[in-house]
Amino acid sequence: MARLQLKNVNKRWGSFVGVDNFDLDIADQEFLVLLGPSGCGKSTTMRMIAGLEDVTDGEILFDGKVVNDLEPKDRDISMVFQSYGLYPNLTVYENIRFPLKVRKVPKEKHDDMVMNAVRMTELEDFMHRRPADLSGGQRQRVALGRAIVRKPTVFLMDEPLSNLDAKLRVSTRAQIKNLQSKLKTTTVYVTHDQIEAMTLADRVVVMNAGKIQQVGTPTDIYDTPANTFVASFIGSPAMNLVEGLLKDGVFEGENIRVEGLPTGPSGNITLGFRAEDAEIVDGAGQIEAPMYSIELLGEASMITWRLGGALVSIKTNKEYRAEIGDVVRARIPAEICHLFDTATGERVAL
Amino acid sequence: MSSIATKQTPTVKILANGFLIMWLIVAAFPFLWTLWGSFKVEGDFFSKANWANALFGTLTQSETGGSFTGAGYYGAWVQEEFWRAVMNTTIVCVCVVTISLTFGTLGGYALARSTYRYAFWFLLFALMFRAMPPITLVSGYLLPFFEWNLWGRLSTTIIVLVALNQPFTLWMLHSFFKNIPQDLDESAMVDGCTRFQAFRHVIIPVMWPGVITTGLFSFLLAYNDFAVTSMLLSKENQTMIPKIASFLGTTQTKGNVMFAVSAVVSATAPLFVMVMFFQRQIVSGLTAGAVKG
Repeated sequence: MARLQLKNVNKRWGSFVGVDNFDLDIADQEFLVLLGPSGCGKSTTMRMIAGLEDVTDGEILFDGKVVNDLEPKDRDISMVFQSYGLYPNLTVYENIRFPLKVRKVPKEKHDDMVMNAVRMTELEDFMHRRPADLSGGQRQRVALGRAIVRKPTVFLMDEPLSNLDAKLRVSTRAQIKNLQSKLKTTTVYVTHDQIEAMTLADRVVVMNAGKIQQVGTPTDIYDTPANTFVASFIGSPAMNLVEGLLKDGVFEGENIRVEGLPTGPSGNITLGFRAEDAEIVDGAGQIEAPMYSIELLGEASMITWRLGGALVSIKTNKEYRAEIGDVVRARIPAEICHLFDTATGERVAL
Repeated sequence: MSSIATKQTPTVKILANGFLIMWLIVAAFPFLWTLWGSFKVEGDFFSKANWANALFGTLTQSETGGSFTGAGYYGAWVQEEFWRAVMNTTIVCVCVVTISLTFGTLGGYALARSTYRYAFWFLLFALMFRAMPPITLVSGYLLPFFEWNLWGRLSTTIIVLVALNQPFTLWMLHSFFKNIPQDLDESAMVDGCTRFQAFRHVIIPVMWPGVITTGLFSFLLAYNDFAVTSMLLSKENQTMIPKIASFLGTTQTKGNVMFAVSAVVSATAPLFVMVMFFQRQIVSGLTAGAVKG
């Protein structure tokens, strides 16, 4: 049971700003994902929550209590590291038991608690092996087991899946989701993978250059990105962004013209739309340009144009055939369009 | 394994083994020669007439009645009280190793985990002091040690040896600690350890090979040291190496050279035992970090 509050938290190293005015409330039992490219300050934020990094400015509160000056051990957290951080000289069983031992949990309770964690992470067959004899996925499960054995108030996970191969990542992801919903522990999860963020999170915090870009549910962030950074970070493929001029509800850029947009905003505008929302047409379309490439994805084909400086992609059915250089047209209804101010990158309210 | 890379033709095998055997003989010969010779009289071992006397012990036979004599060992150990030197060496080595490992592990760990730039300069200075020949420092110590009446004592020598040794232990342990990922400390701290408990319960167990290798090197430094011990120890506090040197230095009396020879054998034997005992840790310590697991 823990509510986590970060009040205007800053982290600076000399003149370099790692985390800039991070302000957020994390509700009890929430699964919060910090998402952003490498170096955006997401890991630093988590390490400040853990107490592994000092807060330069601001306050971190656990259940209303300021923990800025508490050692990691006194914060009642557990953490899963990207590189697992297992103790190489201990067996799986002893690794999971370690937090109980150092925290002086009565000895007679150890076996029950460890076995419970072992069962939840399905490690029964590996209990007496050492980390060196385990695969990456098994090691990560040991790290998870060690994190849950003590039932802490907050879980912190620092890119726990990035050292796993693609297939294992999917199954471990599901396992993490399942564990969290069973244990109902407040969780902060750091990742640079937007798919992990979308699948796991109750709420996502998108960060860039130390600043929060947007906070919201995965749906919010996908449907109404707050700025071009979020738009270009979320979704696969990311949102198409084309620069152009908006006037009287008509957007015009190189080889693209969209009508029926709101008449309020005008000037330099970046138009955004998702590849899966638009469609290829034979007749007149909003895009009309020579095709730059066609890629077969399996379930669909991806058609790409080069409009101005930007590559714009649209998904179409997998049977679609055209040669590179052929003029291809696409329909982009005004309803699917997002408008951003080109200068600031901010979303333009419609 | 019979992969192509490891396949050998018989000729190569014979050559390789032949070379190894030859190398072994060449390497072991001086020690075996000294060991054999230490049971002869000086006239045989240093025979001007015929070098083969050292092997067959012609003079030893005529002087003592047998082809082997323990006279050298008796002279060194009983007459000249070499056992005192052995005791002194033991005290010096144990103290030097313990003290320099204690400071070395704590300091090396702190430097490896330090985020400040001074850590780098600190290590660089340490290396500079390490590069200086010890004798340049020792000559400077003499005057104050005489004045403060510290000269000649084992404790003074121990402190000087630790001081000379510390830069090396710091460097070596620092690089071992660098190879241990910081995640390990952090896991431990999140799991409920203080910084020191993390060091004690998590890092040190992983560090054993490094600690043993470094410990062995500082042991050897103390064990083999001549410059410091010969300058700073009074006669009754001498360790083995200056004691052996003093056997050699007084050639007026016959038999003293043989004391030195037998003392050398006595001083070398424990080293063999020790290296063989710790060989696994030493090898894994020396190669640690070379290949990532």
